[in-house]
Amino acid sequence: MARAAIYSLTVILAVIFVIPLVWMFVVSFKPEGVSAITIAEWTDFSDLTISNYAKVLIESQILRWTWNSFVIGAVTTLITVIISSLGAFAFSRKNFKSKGFLFILCVSGLLIPTEAMLIPLYETVLSMDLLDNMWGIILPSLTNPLGLILIKQFMDGLPKDYMEAAQIDGGRDFRLWWSIYMPLTRSAMIAIGIFYFIMSWNNFIWPYIAINSEENMVLSTGLPTFLSNNVLHVNTIMAASAIAAIPTMIVYIFLQKHIVQGVSMTGVKG
Amino acid sequence: MKAQQAASGWKRQLKNEFSAIAFLAPFLIPLLVFYIWPLLRGAYISLHSWTILGMEKYVGFNNYTKILTNSDFYKYLWNSLYFVILVVPIIISLGLLLALLIHRKIPFQTMFRSIYFLPYVLSVSVISFIWLRMFDSKHGLVNVILEALGLSSVHWLTNPKAAWWSIVIATVWWTVGFVMVLFLAGLQEISQELYEAADIDGASSLHKFRFITLPGLSSVMKVQIFFQIIAGLKLFGQVQIMTNGGPGDTTNTIIRYIYVTGFKKDMFGLAAAQSTLFCIFMLLIAGVQYMVVNRKES
Repeated sequence: MARAAIYSLTVILAVIFVIPLVWMFVVSFKPEGVSAITIAEWTDFSDLTISNYAKVLIESQILRWTWNSFVIGAVTTLITVIISSLGAFAFSRKNFKSKGFLFILCVSGLLIPTEAMLIPLYETVLSMDLLDNMWGIILPSLTNPLGLILIKQFMDGLPKDYMEAAQIDGGRDFRLWWSIYMPLTRSAMIAIGIFYFIMSWNNFIWPYIAINSEENMVLSTGLPTFLSNNVLHVNTIMAASAIAAIPTMIVYIFLQKHIVQGVSMTGVKG
Repeated sequence: MKAQQAASGWKRQLKNEFSAIAFLAPFLIPLLVFYIWPLLRGAYISLHSWTILGMEKYVGFNNYTKILTNSDFYKYLWNSLYFVILVVPIIISLGLLLALLIHRKIPFQTMFRSIYFLPYVLSVSVISFIWLRMFDSKHGLVNVILEALGLSSVHWLTNPKAAWWSIVIATVWWTVGFVMVLFLAGLQEISQELYEAADIDGASSLHKFRFITLPGLSSVMKVQIFFQIIAGLKLFGQVQIMTNGGPGDTTNTIIRYIYVTGFKKDMFGLAAAQSTLFCIFMLLIAGVQYMVVNRKES
């Protein structure tokens, strides 16, 4: 009895969670002005149209924004994971005097987020002539302390023998990192990398400020430009949302295991 | 001989130091340029009357006195805190509930996990668009459902109280799956033997939850409360897109206030001073949390 009640609750909550997404897709296929809010409208398949999608694709640069988001996400993720892994190797496997101080410096970014320092960051990026440029988005997001901490913890868990064995063989530190520690922490790096990609893809406030030309916008900042366009119906706006949602939803469905693993790594060991 | 040894030891140490820093350099350089430097630069800008073009004039602590004697700063800081107070308890308890629901082996377990987590992979613009339309007072689904249930419809985005709840609901729907996954991972680390022992003692489910599950999740809980408070204080995208800070300025948050002061009104110096004060506030919050967590442990 209790089991059935719990299961029903699980199902009801799942339905509530999925309704907004279903609604978005249904409305996006309805002709302009039809909001699909009655049962009759929901189940009426005769008036479905793809014209909203055509309109968004033709009249906006949404494909360009998607591409920008993808490139920025991929480059940010790749560089962040590699420099975090290099840093993690130093903190986990080497003893040096300034270690304590540098570690605090590196993780301090967790305390004060970018959002709290928009003005000076804008000044800095402006002085480097990187505004309205994808590097102006990528460079400030490279030093995410989370990845450094997680990969370090992962390396801390590996036996120290590798270090000694390789040193006796005369192996150099960089080769040690490249041929032993990188491969051994690969699964952690993939999980964190996917997590970084989602974070970059969803990054909003900084690209919103640092990019002003429409062709350089990313998906999350390009989308709100639709709101200032008063002639667009709810159907067109939902089609735009669907186009923006589909890539990450597909990625999520295929890489679920890694994403969930990446997320759970970020919280449990912290 | 000894001096030579000491010298070579010292040399080796220096070499070791350099090699460690070489590994850290690719991380440290962007950190210094895009984090530490802007922090210092922000303090410098805050002491000036400054525009986007950088027309600067030293004004001492004028910007700070202006902020601290004007009630707007406190009002918007309170708005951000108010959002935290509304959203964090809901996200933590609903996240825990969802995790408990699907933790045990049940049919379609993975599918449920996917459904609860799915909104998290959408960007803030997408979720804001969806909820902006869901809460539309005429064509939105939320009011249609309310009316179908015999309740009265609500002017979600134009009624000050309801506007906050619109933002809270959208945010909870968006990010609660993330918290759920962390609790799921935490639940898996609790030893099954504890539950078996409790069963033998004839403990009730409520007892098991209170004395095994909750303590087992305490470290995840602490970290999550910390991260969710920081995330709540950063609220910007949802209000910028869904309510534009309105109705009036009810849902205007501290970040949006800094954004408007700096980029819309072109008062960079003043906005930098607001940022500095907000950074200090964030550090205080982190410090208080650190003390609370440590006191409980000792």
